[in-house]
Amino acid sequence: MESLIIAAARALEAGDPLGALNRVALRNDAPSLALRGIAMAQLGDLAKAKTLLRSAARAFGPREAVARARCVVAEAEIALVSRELNWPPKALAAARTTLASHGDLANAAHAGHIEARRLLLLGRIDEAERTLAEIGAAPLPPASLVVRELVLAGIAIRRLKTQEARAALDRAGKAARQAGIAALVAEVESANLILNTPAARLIARGSEHPLLLGEVERLATSTALVVDTFHHVVRKQGVAISLGTRPVLFALARLLAQAWPADVSREALIAGAFQARHADESHRARLRVEIGRLRTQLEPLAKISATKQGFELAPRKTNDVLVLARPVEEKHAAVLAILADGEPWSSSALALALQMSARSVQRALDELARSNKVQSFGHGRARRWMTPPVPGFPTGLLLPTPLLKA
Amino acid sequence: MKRSAAEIVTEYGPFPGVEAVHGVSYDGTHLWFASGDRLNAVDPANGKIARSLDVAAHAGTAFDGRHLFQIAEDRIQKIDAASGAVIGTIPAPGGGGDSGLAWAEGSLWVGQYRDRRIHQIDPDTGKILRTIESKRFVTGVTWVDGELWHGTWEGEDSDIRRIDPDTGKVLEQLDMPEGTMVSGLESDGGDRLFCGGGASGKVRAVRRPKRR
Repeated sequence: MESLIIAAARALEAGDPLGALNRVALRNDAPSLALRGIAMAQLGDLAKAKTLLRSAARAFGPREAVARARCVVAEAEIALVSRELNWPPKALAAARTTLASHGDLANAAHAGHIEARRLLLLGRIDEAERTLAEIGAAPLPPASLVVRELVLAGIAIRRLKTQEARAALDRAGKAARQAGIAALVAEVESANLILNTPAARLIARGSEHPLLLGEVERLATSTALVVDTFHHVVRKQGVAISLGTRPVLFALARLLAQAWPADVSREALIAGAFQARHADESHRARLRVEIGRLRTQLEPLAKISATKQGFELAPRKTNDVLVLARPVEEKHAAVLAILADGEPWSSSALALALQMSARSVQRALDELARSNKVQSFGHGRARRWMTPPVPGFPTGLLLPTPLLKA
Repeated sequence: MKRSAAEIVTEYGPFPGVEAVHGVSYDGTHLWFASGDRLNAVDPANGKIARSLDVAAHAGTAFDGRHLFQIAEDRIQKIDAASGAVIGTIPAPGGGGDSGLAWAEGSLWVGQYRDRRIHQIDPDTGKILRTIESKRFVTGVTWVDGELWHGTWEGEDSDIRRIDPDTGKVLEQLDMPEGTMVSGLESDGGDRLFCGGGASGKVRAVRRPKRR
């Protein structure tokens, strides 16, 4: 192959995109376009990178199917990093097949990793896991291993398996240092932060303290009655009562649990669950009805008794009642939670991931933007949302080099 | 045109710490190959790396009897084979699009990969003396017994072909097995052609057909 292309590819592999660009900046042959595209992506100019990779794919001849497939994979990765989650997965799958059938197993695996990351972002955890399993244990270059372990960690975190997550992140860190790419090491470190930053708040007997993910996990085996505001369920060990579709009942359950073992006044319940400032007779009547419904729902796990001024919770067969809440309670906590990954999201990708309507997401984003909790850039369809401070574009573009080496 | 399957006689490598083989050459004793940031001398008797020189080595390699020539980025380095010192540099004719390199009859011959051409250049100045057009992407280039051979690599196929140095017409073609790439070419002066195997990290010896 060509001298300068090999020199540029080696620079890129060593994590030196500027060195790669220096060598091919003025060339417009297909491999140079592809290398420039990858270098631009690593430098954060994703729009330019996408254009270059597209031209590269066109410029490769009809006999160069593998080179072309690599460009498609690179473009898919850019789409993923830009949170264009509706980028055609079929094109990626086809490229993956082409690469595998021509023996380029490392890049085929990379294509699989991108697919798994997309599924993970969409919350399709089982599918993400299946996709990773398909890739199997082919020997992968260190940079590729980092991605694989990051996806595994992501799956474990979402399943609240902190030990598994920690082990995967340790392996990812080792592979990142082996790859010698600083950006990868940083990415693993920021993933580690998730495990060392409070993931929730525990409210019990009127006091509260932050919980790490590992502590949340241990809570699952506790014998306490847990009111879980993440999943809108009331649970104890194996029994879970979902109140996801009954927000008023859930709000009442939570108010009672937070006050436990004390009771809660009717006024406080009405104010907290109905958002009513002054309780009148109709509110009291409604409260009686809703408490009756909640009592039926919670029957297996707890009793609700009337007191002189209101109601109190009486859990069955346990002496502990806990409320598991988000670290910071926000009206649009779910949107913020997704944006917390630091990546730029389109509102349509958010809607896809949250299974909300585009309109609701847009409304939430507008509200959050007014209070400076999120920022946007770009216009129209290219508009992206992030949580400030803008951490810059991700460095996660992990094209396993020898994009062109073959 | 005679066309047949390439007969692979021997395979060397892969070698420890070598990701890919770019250029190959032969100094009568050792087989040299370029691996990015090194030039390595292999003993063909045991297939082991006998010695390595730390020089940038991204494409073709050649030997003139005393010096090694090595393409790096967009230039050709002239290297003292004994000390490994770079004693001169000329611009490569393809400006970095260069692939194979051969020495013959006082000239250097340089393959220009995607432009499907072979240039004959002055080894002192880099001036292009003439250009031969090929039909396929050109990788390695070599001369033996007045025959000009070059490797091709286009898409996922490679072959080795002897061409008419005046017209570029293909006279003979040896098809490499599927998935076997030719990234560099050198003759041992006899009936073997050494082929760099690209990312496989191997060097293969292919039998050169006898002339009738």
